[in-house]
Amino acid sequence: MRADENQLRAWMIDGLDGDGDALACLLRALVPLLRNFFRRRVQSCGDDDIEDLVQEVLIAVHSRRATFDRNRVFTAWLFSIARYKMVDQFRRSRRTVPIEGLDDILIAEGFESSSNARLDVDALLDTLPAKQARAIRATKIEGASVAEAAIAAGIGESDIKVSVHRGLKALAARISGQTR
Amino acid sequence: MNTDELIASITTDIRPVGRNAVGWRLATGVIAGALVSTLLIVATLGFRPDLWLTMHGATFWMKWGYTISLAAVAIYVTARLARPDPGSLRRLWLIAVPVLALAAVGAGELIRTPRSEWLAMWLGHSWTKCPWLVLMLAVPVFIGLLWSFRRLAPTRLRAAGAVAGLAAGAFSATVYCLHCPEVSAIFVLTWYSLGILLAASLGAIVGPRLLRW
Repeated sequence: MRADENQLRAWMIDGLDGDGDALACLLRALVPLLRNFFRRRVQSCGDDDIEDLVQEVLIAVHSRRATFDRNRVFTAWLFSIARYKMVDQFRRSRRTVPIEGLDDILIAEGFESSSNARLDVDALLDTLPAKQARAIRATKIEGASVAEAAIAAGIGESDIKVSVHRGLKALAARISGQTR
Repeated sequence: MNTDELIASITTDIRPVGRNAVGWRLATGVIAGALVSTLLIVATLGFRPDLWLTMHGATFWMKWGYTISLAAVAIYVTARLARPDPGSLRRLWLIAVPVLALAAVGAGELIRTPRSEWLAMWLGHSWTKCPWLVLMLAVPVFIGLLWSFRRLAPTRLRAAGAVAGLAAGAFSATVYCLHCPEVSAIFVLTWYSLGILLAASLGAIVGPRLLRW
């Protein structure tokens, strides 16, 4: 079964209220999501390493669940943890970092400069309709695949693709209009 | 262990988590640490003998007002950095408020005092010890915060270490007021703040190592 943001968040909140079964449902639903997430980014690792990372994230989701704010987006919280674990693993293993993971590490370490850029991007995205902004944010900024973004938003993959396309086109038009 | 077994084993006995769990967790760690620091003062330095009397005066509350408001801002920023979504240091500018307020009080003192006594007022009786004592008393509070962080998820470890050190220093300075007999605002502004800054720097140094999860 594929779960969307609303379902995952509902399970998480039940888990926070002390429902172990809901938390177990949540963690089981996260396994394929996390495997995809790491496979796309950590290509030098074998399946065992991927599974270790997945398990570490599951344990963190469980043991550090107090840090989830019920008013915020669950998948954003989850992928922040996943990204942290991935960077931590690169540091620990000190092996050469594949290009696919490099931008994530740079984002984490060059936080000052990237946060300035993020403010500009946020301001631009705010001018778009919410659905387009969300699709662009998920696929182009947070680095989710189209499929992951579709699950998180609870809409179809083609809908995500169309939203991203239209949103980027509108942004391009706006930026070139500004510079002229 | 395979992933299904792992999920089954960690979800069997789940305790409910309240809405303000992060706040409570930090408060517990800080208060436990501050209690240990207070006991250390009782055991080694002793409270100032006129503590009860001085608590009725303005000077004591000026000092506490300064250290407690610094502690409040630091703990608030710590709570923001304790979550994995990109937390920010942006609200840290709020510590300028107590610093500037105390600087204003200090300026008033300097105007009222003859120039020849400025140096004595600034150095007090304990300027050589004060920053170090604040730093040492910050250690139990920082350890309390490390305990708090075991259930929290900071992703910017150096920043989180620095603000946790800042909070530990500010709480330690608050406790240190129970011993320290100094009265001038510029003394507090210089030497207390120096101790607190030392604690924050130490926090920034050890943060990436000790806060990793």
